[in-house]
Amino acid sequence: MRQIWAIASYEVLHIFKDRILTLMVFFVPILYALLFGTVYASGILTNIPLGIVDLDHSSLSREVADIFTNNQYFQVIPRVATYPELQAAMKTGAVRAGIVIPADFEKRVSEHQLSKALLIYDSSNLIWGYNIRRYARTLTNQFYMTHAAAYLSGLGFAGKNINNILDTVSLNMEIWYNPSLNYCNFLFAGLLLMIIHQIGLMGVSLTVTREKERHCWLHYLSSALPAWKIFIGKGLPYFLVTFFNYSLLLWFSTAFLNLKIEGSLGLILLLGLLFDLIITTAGFAISAYAQSSLTVTRFLLLLSVPIFLSSGFTWPAAYIPPLLNGLVRLLPYPWMADGFRLVTMKSLGAREIAPILIALAIMAILWVALAVSCAKRRQPTNIYRSQLATGFRRVGHRLTVIG
Amino acid sequence: MEVGVMKIMPRQYLAIMRHEVLMLWHDTGLRHIMLWASLLGLCLFLLVYRSQAITAIPTAVLDLDHSSTSRQLVDQIANTENLNLVASVNSFDDLKFLIKAGRVIAGVVIPENYGRDLSLGRQTRILAIIDASNMIYATNASSTFLTVSRTISAQAGISTLVANGVQFNDAQDAYQTVDFQEEPWFNPALNYAYFLVLALALNIWQQCCTLAACMTVAGETGRDSWLQIRATGISRWSFFSGKALVQLVAFFLMALPIFLLSFLVLKSPLQCGFPVILLFTMTFALALQSLGAMMSSLARNPVDASRLGMIIALPSFVLSGYTWPIEAMPHWLQSLVWVLPQTWFFQGFNYLAFKNPGWGFISRYFLALLIIAGICYGVAAIAISLGNHGARRVES
Repeated sequence: MRQIWAIASYEVLHIFKDRILTLMVFFVPILYALLFGTVYASGILTNIPLGIVDLDHSSLSREVADIFTNNQYFQVIPRVATYPELQAAMKTGAVRAGIVIPADFEKRVSEHQLSKALLIYDSSNLIWGYNIRRYARTLTNQFYMTHAAAYLSGLGFAGKNINNILDTVSLNMEIWYNPSLNYCNFLFAGLLLMIIHQIGLMGVSLTVTREKERHCWLHYLSSALPAWKIFIGKGLPYFLVTFFNYSLLLWFSTAFLNLKIEGSLGLILLLGLLFDLIITTAGFAISAYAQSSLTVTRFLLLLSVPIFLSSGFTWPAAYIPPLLNGLVRLLPYPWMADGFRLVTMKSLGAREIAPILIALAIMAILWVALAVSCAKRRQPTNIYRSQLATGFRRVGHRLTVIG
Repeated sequence: MEVGVMKIMPRQYLAIMRHEVLMLWHDTGLRHIMLWASLLGLCLFLLVYRSQAITAIPTAVLDLDHSSTSRQLVDQIANTENLNLVASVNSFDDLKFLIKAGRVIAGVVIPENYGRDLSLGRQTRILAIIDASNMIYATNASSTFLTVSRTISAQAGISTLVANGVQFNDAQDAYQTVDFQEEPWFNPALNYAYFLVLALALNIWQQCCTLAACMTVAGETGRDSWLQIRATGISRWSFFSGKALVQLVAFFLMALPIFLLSFLVLKSPLQCGFPVILLFTMTFALALQSLGAMMSSLARNPVDASRLGMIIALPSFVLSGYTWPIEAMPHWLQSLVWVLPQTWFFQGFNYLAFKNPGWGFISRYFLALLIIAGICYGVAAIAISLGNHGARRVES
């Protein structure tokens, strides 16, 4: 125990001696959480700039304009009044949607002919595109109802009858798990887990490479310390820091950034512990095999975007080719992201997420076994071989001097 | 004397450039990253977004009525665009279970006596449930159900009016004289692959460029060559421009296959023309190089430089507003994100690829990237003057 404690203390010393590492381990996670949390703080698109081109100027066209004006979804930009202006404004992003009401809009309706208005929206960004389409359909449905009610009134139907006719069949929509369709609830948790993943890996993956570069790894290899003690001693500080960061970010995000977290706290912590264990052990194993701190830093930093996007957390896994899906499932992140979402958004219990817990547990066991087995690896890499040679030369030189 | 200096300068300049080429090439890890990472990223994202749009939302139906009318409704739902009827369940608990387990994303509950109420002109309510834990599914599903809602409501209303003695044409006029035709501009098929794949590949490309640029100064300070460079008395301008030129050519060569693949093979939208997008990308590459050089001059060694550079490069895509719009971010952050060159690039790239708003609009994006480059090179030059990289090396 004392040996493990000594190695762990030495590792903590290294963390604090390396200012950038200290910054990354203790400050960057909360900085990223704050940044991403702020980015998605509103979570819902409102006041979308809209241009209305009313070429009819009739009472019916004003009804349409009113429906699109008096709501929280759109904000009408008054300076856009003609089609060329709308085109130009759409191109420069001054408006993201537009309504074009043709000149004979009301006349055609009065002649019992189909009258078409045009709804334009910017789909160069699909978050704009899909949300505008949804909002516009909500409002046009409202317009259809108002228009039908006015028409029935014109036919001589009384108010109550009109309501009965219009409400003969209605489709009530119930949105589960994220009732306000908030992007913060959807994305932010996944980003938090990616922060934990990357910062955790980045920290621990330097633990052996650093020693190799300082020619200190020889001390560990030549010592009587068993491999598992080296692994635990070196990995423990990172395991604790990663779990601390996990807990801190979750608390911070729920307390200050409106992240919705429900479900069993025990399960959330269990998922966190398993994820943390995999990250720490995987990082240690990578570090033992890596040639240098620079190589490991570069490659790990590049992993975040591909892992996040292929994990099925945003783009549904059902739409990702099965082979790629299978390969991605060899990594811990997709399981953790899935499990976390099921527990925190859908409040599922241990029985329902058992396959995820089992997958994470198996990964943890495999990585621990690999990390312990490579903690005193005897087959050095090319760079390390040269360092060993340098080390032996130095020892030889000292022996000569002593002699 | 002056002629001699003029002769020496280009040689020094060429030497710096040759040295940079060798340094980039001999750094095996960096070489592999620069050669393969962006292309691999492009291939990966292409695979991920291969289906391009969500067209079949798994849906379950709970028909509590079992009448011919309710079966008609089920058929109608099955034939609705974007909905894929995958299950028919017998109880609400079964439906709830399927949604919880993620096997279906949407559920439709047809109430008991639906057919009878409809034929008697009584009010009846259909329930549509959407699992909104994934917003990509949820926005599509809710839009689809809004259309379904309108169609069903209109059909039932027309039947009721006809039953009340209104002429069919009059009844139809009540619901169907006005139509809103939807026209998505710039990406008419609402194609996720067009929207995201190239931008994500360019995101990986900019991360690779940052990693390479972070070696500008820090890559030298750990070597004997740094002392040689200092001893030659080469100007900071020659040092930075020589290195930057080589790196810019490398960045260009990295970006070229990504663009060729995207625009020529995969037919990603490009409204502005190939030369303009290349020029814009290279202006961004210059800003990235300057940012990397600045980080490099502030760091003690290549590892620190890489980490500092990536602290900015990693979150920059999210902050750039390419996906979640800048307009929806808090005001103070809206101002802050424009400090990053990535924001100017990804915003400008979206405009150029999808809209081509004209030089008058896009010139400010070029200008901003050049200003950022100027500031970063300035800071890097000051940091080198004030810092004692050479002294550190001598000490070590």
